[in-house]
Amino acid sequence: MISLFLSVPAEDILARMNHPTVIDSATTSLLSASISTVVATLFGLPLAYWLARTDGAVTKIVLVVVVLPLVLPPTVVGIVLLTVFGPSSPLGEAAIAAGFPLTRSLAGVVLAQTFVASPFVVVTAKAAFESVDQTLEYASRSLGKSRWTTARHVTLPLAGPGILAGVTLAFARAIGEFGATMMLAYYPRTMPVQIWVAFIELGLDNAYPVAILLVLIASTALVVLNTVASNPWE
Amino acid sequence: MTLELSRLRKAYGQFDFGPVDLTVEDDVLAVLGPSGSGKTTLLPLIAGITSPDSGSIQLDGRELVGLPLEDRHVGMVFQEGALFPHMTARKNIEYAATASERVDELATLLELEDVLDRKPPTLSGGERQRVALARTLATDPDVLLLDEPLSSLDAPIRKRLRDELHSLFESLESPILYVTHDQRTATSLGDRIALVRDGDLEQVGSPSTVLTRPTSRFVARFTGNENLFEGTVTDRTEDGATVLLGDIQFETTASDIHTSTVTVCIHPSRVEIEAPYVADGDRTANTVTETVARWLNEGSEYRIDIEIEAGSITLTANVRPPTFERLALENGSEVQVLIPKESIHLIPERE
Repeated sequence: MISLFLSVPAEDILARMNHPTVIDSATTSLLSASISTVVATLFGLPLAYWLARTDGAVTKIVLVVVVLPLVLPPTVVGIVLLTVFGPSSPLGEAAIAAGFPLTRSLAGVVLAQTFVASPFVVVTAKAAFESVDQTLEYASRSLGKSRWTTARHVTLPLAGPGILAGVTLAFARAIGEFGATMMLAYYPRTMPVQIWVAFIELGLDNAYPVAILLVLIASTALVVLNTVASNPWE
Repeated sequence: MTLELSRLRKAYGQFDFGPVDLTVEDDVLAVLGPSGSGKTTLLPLIAGITSPDSGSIQLDGRELVGLPLEDRHVGMVFQEGALFPHMTARKNIEYAATASERVDELATLLELEDVLDRKPPTLSGGERQRVALARTLATDPDVLLLDEPLSSLDAPIRKRLRDELHSLFESLESPILYVTHDQRTATSLGDRIALVRDGDLEQVGSPSTVLTRPTSRFVARFTGNENLFEGTVTDRTEDGATVLLGDIQFETTASDIHTSTVTVCIHPSRVEIEAPYVADGDRTANTVTETVARWLNEGSEYRIDIEIEAGSITLTANVRPPTFERLALENGSEVQVLIPKESIHLIPERE
């Protein structure tokens, strides 16, 4: 890490960071990773809750499917996504016809990032939900509170730290996503793609500034995420 | 309010609960049974945490089976309290309360004013259970279920909270079911006791009936009755039956005994001990003179084992310390054992 920061003179980095392609890629990365994290959380939490509170063959199969993106190589993920959402697939065609292409667009970036980042939310949140004693939920509901009220006031606050860890991991995975993004949405360029392009076209020295920026943005975002979502009983 | 369970049934793998028929009006039913008897199955069924395989649960005619637990108006106090750990005691009660005055009212009633701002992990076991009780009462439930709320407490606190519960229950006008494995808790809190064995209700009755007139050896043994002997009925009259225990004949007031082989059941607290020379005891009681085999100081009373019939029968008597000291009992002491006729209960042989 230190060698990364010492690799180029500071003024060089600052100069290059102001370059429009760098700023564009930083914007794309932050925006897409945020959207991906929100989407993964919105869909992941209910799924994680269901997985945590249900037993049976179906749950096991669903869990395997959910974890699959973790073990697939990024290029395979890209192929899978292209097959389903690519321009020649029915879904992709329909999306293009609607003026909302799923490849070479922000949507494509989000798609790739969400696909690889979601398992982190689901797996971590599932463990967090499982750690909440179900008796507390029964107690809440026996007090006349609906499932939703119970989830909001009892389960979520208690599972909070675990869920937050999952969300953080998902964000980190999303902002670093490279392989599937390359295949699905080369443009608009995210930072990992921009780093790759700078490296291939202009050499290692030119890749440093973007890499440093990515590290800075990612760490800042993680710190913010962990501070903003405060733990209510600490 | 009347809570009525009919043909209620629930199977867990090999274990079969029910079918159970039970009616609880505005009184306290203590559900007593050993662990694994299925007594803990009952409350989740009524609360709606689990659903029965068949049967119905009606509250004043309203069917509860099929209703989600939040719509049942059934309050449940869980074994360890199940307080929300991230909320203070006050927040826990407020969460349930329909009106905010109710929180302070209940805090006063259950002496919780000092702990309202503390979080459950910092509360003692007794305080936790009181908060849990307050939280449940804050919803004004139609039925109150309590799942061994005292079992994890130390003896002095348990006794104190038991006394408090007793007066609290008297003030509540709703069916109350109290699950416990402790016979003392059951007899002191219950207006009636239901004994559960292997998923079935073995006997339902008032505490004194269950204690002195058990319908089975199981009930007798579980309620602390150690004097269970096999006997033969030799004579039946209008006033009762005569039973032969070894070579000794005992007069009883038992009626409706139709088998000749019976289990003779004498509660240890009903066996009286006198010095052998005292002749002015109860003349109608069965009297034998035997020797004390051993004694045991059990704190509030002494437990005396007396061997009858050359040791083939060991009769246990509970004696209060003053009596024990007055008679200067020791191993080998000769004593007169008096068993009133009505204290001998006969359980007909089954099958």
